[in-house]
Amino acid sequence: MYYATLEGLRRFNIPHKFEFVSIITLYAKWIREGRIKVDSSWNTEGLKFTVQDPCKLVRQGIGDEVADDLRFVIKQVAGEENFIEVWPNKSNNYCCGGGGGALQAGFSENRRRYGKIKFDQLAATGADVVITPCHNCHTQVLDICSHFGGKWKTTHLWNWLEKALVRDK
Amino acid sequence: MSNKKNQQGNTGALSEVSGSVLVVGGGIAGVQAALDLADSGFYVHLVEKSAAIGGGMSQLDKTFPTNDCSACILSPKLVECGRHLNINLLTLSELVSLEGEPGSFKAVVKQNPRYVDPDKCIACGTCAEKCPKKVVNEFDMGLGKRKAIYLKYPQAVPLKYAIDAEHCIWLNKPGRCGMCEKVCPSKAINFDDKPTEHVLEIGSVIMAPGFKPFDPSKLDYTGYGRLPNVVTSMEFERLLSPSGPCMGHMERPFDGKEPKKIAWLQCVGSRDINRACHGYCSSVCCMYAIKQAVIAREHSESGDLDASIFFMDMRTHGKEFEEYYNRAASEGVKFHRARIHSVLPSGENDNLRVRYAGEDGEIRYEDFDLVVLSVGLEMPQQAIELAAKAGVSLDADKFIVTDPFKPVSTSRNGVFVCGAAAEPKDIPQSVMEASAAALEAGRILAPARWKDTKKKEYPPEKNVYSEPPRIGVFVCSCGINIASVVDVEAVTEYAKTLPGVVLAQNNLFTCSQDTIDQMEETIRREGLNRVVVASCTPRTHEPLFQETLRNAGINKYLFEMANIRDQDSWVHQNEPEAATEKAKDLVRVAVAKVRGDAPLPYNSVKVTKSALVIGAGVAGMTAAVSLADQGFPVTLVERKDDIGGHARKFYRTWQGNPVQDYLASLVDTVKSHENIDLKCGVSVKGVSGSVGNFTTVLTDGTELKHGVSIIAVGAGSFKPDSDSRWNYLYGKNPNVHTLLELDQKFIAEDSSLSGINQTVFIHCVGSRVPERPYCSRVCCTHAIDQALKLKELNPDMDIFMLYRDIRTYGQRERLYQEARAKGIIFIRYDLENLPAVTEEGGNIKVTVKDPIIDAEVELNPDMLVLATAVRPKVDVHDLAKFFKCSIRADGFLMEAHMKLRPVDFATDGIFLAGLCHYPKPMDETIAQAQAAASRASIVLSQDEIPAESITAQVDPRKCTGCAVCTEVCAYNAVSIDEATEKAVVNEAMCKGCGACVAGCRSDAITLKNMGNEQIMAELETIMDNW
Amino acid sequence: MLEQKLEIRKLRTKLKQHMQEAVPDAHIDYCLTCGMCVSGCPASGIEDMDPRKFLRLLVLGQDEKLLETDWIYSCTMCQRCEYACPMKINVGRFVYELRGMRPKDKRPKNLQRSCDLQKESNSTGIPNDDFVWVVGDVLEEVRENEPEWADLQAPIDKKGAEFYLNQNAKEPTVEPEEMVPLWKILHAAGVDWTYSSKWWDGANYCLFSGDPEDWEKTVRNQAETVDALGVRYYINTE
Repeated sequence: MYYATLEGLRRFNIPHKFEFVSIITLYAKWIREGRIKVDSSWNTEGLKFTVQDPCKLVRQGIGDEVADDLRFVIKQVAGEENFIEVWPNKSNNYCCGGGGGALQAGFSENRRRYGKIKFDQLAATGADVVITPCHNCHTQVLDICSHFGGKWKTTHLWNWLEKALVRDK
Repeated sequence: MSNKKNQQGNTGALSEVSGSVLVVGGGIAGVQAALDLADSGFYVHLVEKSAAIGGGMSQLDKTFPTNDCSACILSPKLVECGRHLNINLLTLSELVSLEGEPGSFKAVVKQNPRYVDPDKCIACGTCAEKCPKKVVNEFDMGLGKRKAIYLKYPQAVPLKYAIDAEHCIWLNKPGRCGMCEKVCPSKAINFDDKPTEHVLEIGSVIMAPGFKPFDPSKLDYTGYGRLPNVVTSMEFERLLSPSGPCMGHMERPFDGKEPKKIAWLQCVGSRDINRACHGYCSSVCCMYAIKQAVIAREHSESGDLDASIFFMDMRTHGKEFEEYYNRAASEGVKFHRARIHSVLPSGENDNLRVRYAGEDGEIRYEDFDLVVLSVGLEMPQQAIELAAKAGVSLDADKFIVTDPFKPVSTSRNGVFVCGAAAEPKDIPQSVMEASAAALEAGRILAPARWKDTKKKEYPPEKNVYSEPPRIGVFVCSCGINIASVVDVEAVTEYAKTLPGVVLAQNNLFTCSQDTIDQMEETIRREGLNRVVVASCTPRTHEPLFQETLRNAGINKYLFEMANIRDQDSWVHQNEPEAATEKAKDLVRVAVAKVRGDAPLPYNSVKVTKSALVIGAGVAGMTAAVSLADQGFPVTLVERKDDIGGHARKFYRTWQGNPVQDYLASLVDTVKSHENIDLKCGVSVKGVSGSVGNFTTVLTDGTELKHGVSIIAVGAGSFKPDSDSRWNYLYGKNPNVHTLLELDQKFIAEDSSLSGINQTVFIHCVGSRVPERPYCSRVCCTHAIDQALKLKELNPDMDIFMLYRDIRTYGQRERLYQEARAKGIIFIRYDLENLPAVTEEGGNIKVTVKDPIIDAEVELNPDMLVLATAVRPKVDVHDLAKFFKCSIRADGFLMEAHMKLRPVDFATDGIFLAGLCHYPKPMDETIAQAQAAASRASIVLSQDEIPAESITAQVDPRKCTGCAVCTEVCAYNAVSIDEATEKAVVNEAMCKGCGACVAGCRSDAITLKNMGNEQIMAELETIMDNW
Repeated sequence: MLEQKLEIRKLRTKLKQHMQEAVPDAHIDYCLTCGMCVSGCPASGIEDMDPRKFLRLLVLGQDEKLLETDWIYSCTMCQRCEYACPMKINVGRFVYELRGMRPKDKRPKNLQRSCDLQKESNSTGIPNDDFVWVVGDVLEEVRENEPEWADLQAPIDKKGAEFYLNQNAKEPTVEPEEMVPLWKILHAAGVDWTYSSKWWDGANYCLFSGDPEDWEKTVRNQAETVDALGVRYYINTE
């Protein structure tokens, strides 16, 4: 998790030479620079996308900037018009309820009660696909979707980015 | 008023001290300060950065707690300011530098080009109509559009258009547009206008740069800037305002639909040390939110608008605020003690959803179609820069630093401050400080009074006796205040048909500067000799129109007003046709009356240039010294044998300044002042006379002659007697004290305090209850400061504060935060669930329920401190009767106007200050006393002042000399001439009240212009249509 | 929520003091009880607790109640309360302290286990050799079956690469094909990258178990490994 390393380096004052970056930042950068080319024309059905902004990456990590990058990438990959904003969002997003070790802690009923807010929030978008750029979020959103009878598909971003990738011949 | 040179003062210093003052900022504070100074003999340069004066108040729809139309009560002051001979209005201007010393400063002011010649502009609006460039209208908080050539707002003073250089097409690309220049009928456009620099020689400076509403767009969770139906409170004022973007019809900015359910979220940008970076309370938001909720409900077409206010502590600490709050709640405004984390869309129709938890922790959801963010006040960046240029210090919150004992003085001598720039505050407080700052600015220049001023000359008055009536009728639309109900065109047409009427016209705002100028023109051109204005109330506007008549060479008593707003359009909103008929009736009556009006003499009386100040507490002493320092003799009367009042019992101010040291030096000044005659152990026995000439008899038989009076008799404190609901062992257990009793221990440096293990404070003892429905304003801050003092004495002491709402308004919030930070625990209780205090073997037990964890908490204090109510004095009734002042139901004295005349009484020449007005802390008391002295100085600085013209006159043929008139006259203005045995009226003393007329058994006394014939003419004409 | 009357003769707030010492700018006492946190917290009401009650119990010294509540495992320490809190109070931070104060045998078993495994190598506990083998195996398969990706790379321990990539342990353990899309993206971008054969797991459950020394150890292991590779950027994938 982005925050675990970022805050760990900071709080324990761990010396390091590398620069710590998020893959989301890089996706956006590479697309902007033309280093990777994507084309949303595959989305002929007009699949609608929304996103789960991970707390550890956005609010506790980089902030709105990375959430904006995330949206930029999704729009490039799925088509500008196929992104549906979720509320609240970005730095102010609700935690999915799977974070903080909740998925491992065993209080499933509490975890799903917590997740109901996330479910309602995502369901309200009416999106077909929920992008979850964090493994905890992915597992939790998948679980609440099936538990509360959601209809969306929960996926990582890379699957769609791969799909939209245009390679120079 | 006469502007003859004052003969008093130290004439030797005249050559050195300037008689001019610079006032920076043209909001209500700057305007009030300018008027006070200009009326008391100083020349004022009023510098305003925008194109017109009026400030934040001009953007408001209504004002609390009186629900007055803000523009309506402000407008006369602005117009007065704009027309004042001794106010040099510099709009589009900013201070560049300030050099020198008190008494002789040199200020450089840069005036930016208006590109419209104000002498030529007739404000016809053709330019703006044709201007092709639309610009976001900042006056409407960006909700509407204006043109690149614009009038700041309809009642703007000066009423002159200005070109916005940033957006004007021509100014950016000369030759491209120039439409305004082509269409302007008076050739007022000047694209070559250049900035000008004014170098002003002044003696003192007043800073009144005002505030800026907090911008919530950086708080994403509010939804502002992201969700279309989230607005700020200032935007909502514009949505409510008749001159706003939706003409007062209250629409959602997004789709123009009328909202049915509105939420107000309090403390946005206030009391927030996280992302808003403003730890202070903005003081005004609780009240304006309640006001907006009340007004919005009045505005809603169905009348059942659902209004909810989400708050943390309800801060209704001002005069009549608590009653306003209670009334709003009983009328259906919902109050939720809960703050909202985020505003979210609710799905359809761009409605909004909030999730909130009451104190019980239960989660609730509610949908609204509009959310208003009650944004706080902050110091504008421009004002921060201004402070640097003027060389005055700012505090950590970026407000201008003042001193509690010199509440309007800045860190630089000779530079004063008033209004929200020193701390967020409401309009009455700003107006009070404005007068206080005027006093201070003038006090150091007293020797130069009338030195720089100009004198008003009126044209000779036309003799109208020989002429038939030529009546002009001016029917006002008052924006939409009148025109939305009354068919003003029909009324105007009707007026033309009335006998004697030669001209009738309709105006959008009759009180606006251009209409006033045009009225003067019209009177001359049409040869009018009588005028009727059908508009609002004579209470606020009659002097303005009468002045216009004088300027046009007509005696000002040849004027009548028909009140077709307050008494018609406002009260008959749902019956427009009947309201129009009523307006016609009222105009017809006014015309009938004015036909019989005769010109009256302008009486004046000589002013006795001395003052009587009653009550020698901090307020009275401050007022006395303020006047005495200007050379006016003052008699200071104190009922008790010693002076100092309440302040003798106070340990320190909330800012931490010891009160006793200050008090000692003030007492010393009073006792040794050559112009103060201190009389202790006496009180007032009787009063006669009126403004300029009072005669007061004291209980020791002394008879005093004085021109003005300041009432500063203070207040008492509520003693919680153990039989009442406040069964808190007061007077029974030696360890139960009031706040003032604990202060006594601090003053005495009682060493037993540091040994205390646990202290409990109970707030609101005796305040905010049905029998005393007001908030005592001072106790929250005082109690918290005491708790902090106890923590200083013993950091391990446990302190619990049991409260209903914490009301540490303004920067006092810092104390509340500090108290929490030091581990002082605050537990909230309700009136329905008071803390219980019991005693077991001398040990006190206090039981209270903590609402957050829903548990009874039992405390075992060694000391219990009760924050008891401030209570008005009972014996103030006599004094009020002597001076003919009103008293409110709660026992506090009633000022002339709660908002704009906070230290005047309705009776001229009498002023008030301190606790007899309302509970207030030391700094506010001092400011109010200075303000009262400022208002009093206006009278005392004149040699003579106008007296009543509508006086009683006796027909000696009918008078039988029965002397009933002398019995009923409250002003001792009528007497029986010993030689003729007939009644005679002393015109200087007659107030025109009519008591003698009603009392006369022989029909021998009449009031001028109110004779039987005229009244009968009015009555008969009312009947005409019946 | 308290069963009996709370009697205060001398206020004892041991836990609060502990928190104040452990957390710089704890601001616990600053709480205005305004309820903004409760309004914004999805865990409000779970286990009859919410962030405001939590702080109130701390302030009133109700330590036992706090030491025993399982709400600390429903609060995900997401900091949404702190985000809007006017006093900038981070309840999650105190929850972290409480998790750490709970004896290991009373902690949720799987959560502690995930951290313990992470301290050994990675959170699912697959041997590092298996990770290396799985990566190689999957890469091989793609190269063979997808001609346009015949030159796909998945380097491990490549010194001097520009980017280091971590890998959540879930994929190599249960769904190895999920690693491929990212490889392809990196390849398409022409990125010079590498995995590490040790301390490669991008998750870090020691952030949640409550023991700072465990968290520090895992981050330190990662940092040392990544620096040893001499890369310029450490890419986190989640």
